[in-house]
Amino acid sequence: MSVPKWRATGALLREFQALGRASLLNDVQDSHSGNMAVRRTNERGEDEIVITATGSQKGDLEPSQICFLSAAATDFGYYKASSETDIHARILKLPGVRASMHAHLKDLILATLDDAPKPAKPPDFVPVDPLAWHHLGGVIPVDWFAVPSGSPELARVIPERLAEHPLTIIFGHGAMAKGRSLREAFFRLCVGNYAGAVVRALERLRIDVGAVRRAVTADPGRAFAAPPAPYAAEGDDRSDFRDEEEILKEFVKAGHRIFESRLSPFHTGSMSVRGVDVMLYAPKASMPRDVGGPLLSVPLAAAADDDAEAAVHKAIYAGSDFQSVMHCHVAEAEASARYAYPGESVPADRIVPIDAEGSFLYLVIPVLAPDVPAAGLIRALHEYKVAVVRGGGVWAVGAQSLSEVLHHPSSLREICIYRIGAVERGLDLRRMEPRKASRW
Amino acid sequence: MPDYPISGYHGRVLVADLGRGEVRTEALAPELALDYLGGRGLATRILYDTIDPACDPLGPDNAFVIASSPLVGTSAPTAGRGHMVFKSPLTGVLGTSNSGGTWGAAFKSAGFDVLVVKGSAATPVMIDVAPGRAEILPADDLWGRTTHETNDLLAAASEPGRPARVLCIGPAGENLVRFAAVANDRNRVYGRSGAGAVWGSKKLKAVRVRGREKIAVADKERFQSGLDQALYLMKQAPVTKRLLRDLGTAGLVELINLIAMLPHKNFQDCVHREEDVERISGETLAKTLLEKAGSCYLCPIGCQRHTRVAGRDGREERGEGPEYETMVLMGPLCGIYDIEAITRANYRANELGLDTMSYGGTLACAMELRERGLIGDADASGLDLTFGDARALEALVALTARREGLGALLAEGAFRLAERFGHPELAMTVKKLEIPAYDPRASFTQALGYMTSPSGACHLRGGYAVSLAFFGGAKEIPRFSLLQSPIAIRNMQNIGILQDSLGVCRFTGYAFSSDPWARMASGVTGRDFSVARLEEIENRVASLERLFNLEAGATAADDALPARFADVPIVVEGKERRVSREDQDRMKRDYYRVRGWDAGGRPTPELLRSLRIGKVRR
Repeated sequence: MSVPKWRATGALLREFQALGRASLLNDVQDSHSGNMAVRRTNERGEDEIVITATGSQKGDLEPSQICFLSAAATDFGYYKASSETDIHARILKLPGVRASMHAHLKDLILATLDDAPKPAKPPDFVPVDPLAWHHLGGVIPVDWFAVPSGSPELARVIPERLAEHPLTIIFGHGAMAKGRSLREAFFRLCVGNYAGAVVRALERLRIDVGAVRRAVTADPGRAFAAPPAPYAAEGDDRSDFRDEEEILKEFVKAGHRIFESRLSPFHTGSMSVRGVDVMLYAPKASMPRDVGGPLLSVPLAAAADDDAEAAVHKAIYAGSDFQSVMHCHVAEAEASARYAYPGESVPADRIVPIDAEGSFLYLVIPVLAPDVPAAGLIRALHEYKVAVVRGGGVWAVGAQSLSEVLHHPSSLREICIYRIGAVERGLDLRRMEPRKASRW
Repeated sequence: MPDYPISGYHGRVLVADLGRGEVRTEALAPELALDYLGGRGLATRILYDTIDPACDPLGPDNAFVIASSPLVGTSAPTAGRGHMVFKSPLTGVLGTSNSGGTWGAAFKSAGFDVLVVKGSAATPVMIDVAPGRAEILPADDLWGRTTHETNDLLAAASEPGRPARVLCIGPAGENLVRFAAVANDRNRVYGRSGAGAVWGSKKLKAVRVRGREKIAVADKERFQSGLDQALYLMKQAPVTKRLLRDLGTAGLVELINLIAMLPHKNFQDCVHREEDVERISGETLAKTLLEKAGSCYLCPIGCQRHTRVAGRDGREERGEGPEYETMVLMGPLCGIYDIEAITRANYRANELGLDTMSYGGTLACAMELRERGLIGDADASGLDLTFGDARALEALVALTARREGLGALLAEGAFRLAERFGHPELAMTVKKLEIPAYDPRASFTQALGYMTSPSGACHLRGGYAVSLAFFGGAKEIPRFSLLQSPIAIRNMQNIGILQDSLGVCRFTGYAFSSDPWARMASGVTGRDFSVARLEEIENRVASLERLFNLEAGATAADDALPARFADVPIVVEGKERRVSREDQDRMKRDYYRVRGWDAGGRPTPELLRSLRIGKVRR
């Protein structure tokens, strides 16, 4: 007979607290929304579900708000646990699934809202960005529910969807994700919300999302840069350069900033600092506080087993004197890279800042084709320090430090926000752009 | 030359052979302009092709080259600087020195890009340059005069709209003081490495220039885009916007002390009383001695300090400075916190034509020798000469410039002084050049910069890592990272090469990096001077400078700090910091690799080929 445990401690508690806080800061929860669960074998060898308590504040989870209940039977713990416990319990029975998470992905939900009479099956969501396309699949299911929270219907349908997809959308409410770990589930939620943010930004730029979807679906290989590496559920605690205290601090700070400033979804993007022989490399650059990710020291020389992401970092170093490189997925930039001026049939090859600071910091920011070769990317980075690869994220470089390179995607996001807002308000971008930018 | 194929250049090299008493104009090879840009890069290439680096630096076979850049003469901010290179009589390696003021711009407006002076005259001479002509004139009546007197006499030849600008030496240069400077506009100097002694050895007192030739800009829109960006960023950055104008470079005193980098008593430690530091701060200078700020040619920063101070005889004196380096190296490095004494000594050094940095470093060395009983009363010229002796600071300026008494020993620089008394380890020098006013133990990056600077311990040629340590802002880097320092300092050195080759001020680096310069350089020339191309030029110049030094006899063993910095720690943020020999070796090894040099610090043949350095003596 298991003994209910009411106070979570140690690493488990810290993980729930950190991801709960991260989800709140990332604006994918309201103060009390969402829930997360993991399935594990406890200290007594029992199959157990650990889940957040119903109505708990995810940003400030207390030890007593983590519930432990049997995975096999309804027990005392169930009554304090999330109202979505039945759904989680069924998701957690899926093969290979050890974690599940529910969040209010506002960007994604807004991107899937429709005003068709209900009940009806809403259209599934087709992402047009490389992250969601590769990590979540070409289609994310959307289901309408008469009772869209805690209902038996949800408990039946959602696990069915997640048996086939990493993420599923509850129309007008939120999304559920599965994962091998809580981090992977959160990663999928964040990537999903990012996909929604990209579509929303496209809509605000008055870009025909349907046409983009058709193009992407017809030939994703042409629409996107090299696929990102699959999400690694393990190895986040690896730190190869603990002795480099100051550099380590820079990585951690930059990781926090990327996540908190929404410069790239959770555990996406990458950043590096080069040494003479080695590259200090964070392949999951977007790292919330207290979560972290792998911090690797890898040979600087190109290796046959480098993934596409690391290969670009190394190619930039091989072809330049830069000391730091960062790759982020900025939703506003991804959408802006597909913007065509009124009367134009093809997207512009540059993003021209219209705000005061942006227009002085960057006369223009180049937009490169998804299949741009490394040499083309390096050339653009030499001239502009930051470049957007359409369907491939934002690349930036620095001569000295991570702090320096971080400024570029951060400024770029602001630049894109202003441009998107201007179009949304019906303003004429051409008239707002500095004339001198036409030369660049 | 109207038909010169690259806009921004006149295409003319003025060559003066003082031994033959001849002046001629040669064409500037376009490929040199494209491969070396101007200023430091172009001057170094021409010097390398002109002299044997193994020559006697004070003999007639040495030469000096001053080069302008395509930006000089345009409206690019601060683009009025000249860069002079020569074999240094202080260090025995490349002497490479830069000055603001107005002379560089005036020389360009006289219709030349480069001045080469070789040979030695038998009697004092000056060179007079005007559009379309240049001649060597006798200068016996100027010999023995101060830089101020010489400047004022020769500048009297100004014409409306065509002011005469004067570059000259003082008595220190005439007396071959190894760290003698060359001055322009009275108080702007080519300070480091002893250019003044090279001039003195050639019996060259002054070069006067007059002119008003304009520079054409090939692509005005492109040039303007870089200019707009540069000016905007300079107005944004606190250092270029306010600090330097309000407080001058001495505004660094308190800030550098805050990061435990302010040297004390010949680098024995970095410990000062706060109230002492306040006595020599930029704030105190502004409150007490400052009359007004001033600017070099086309400089929106305005860091010059026009000051006045009560003389020892009670009469008010006027002059410029002191700058940060002078304030600290003549000040706390010698245990002195008397701002008036430092200011007076600085005035005298400018008038007599001494590098205040090497003077301060050499005096601090003498004080430590004295403290240890190695300099006895017989050699002390009647001075107390202990740390804190402000009277010695002032008195020894003139003795040094005239090589009298103890001054004759100081005139040889710190290394030779310490060696003379049997303790070369007490000279805080790298390659015999006195270390600037930033303790290398407080920043590995700065330490490596001193070690690998082509001219010895120079923060400007070696990489001004202090800007990263304190003012880096978005560029702030770890101070104690062995991994990051080699590349960080390579990149800092490279931006310095670019600034020196463009004839612009180092302080612009507080506001922006190479991008606006690339646009301006491409705009004025109409050629591709993209950032990538500039990067290539920077690396080419760095390796060429290295070649010069190797041929002058330097080896990898010379790329090292004095033992004190490895053996005696200072405390930075509660931790003991030193730059151990192992750490120096590791950084040096990695730096060589980053540069593409072999383990002995020699540029490899493959590198030389890829950089198109071309003719190389072996």
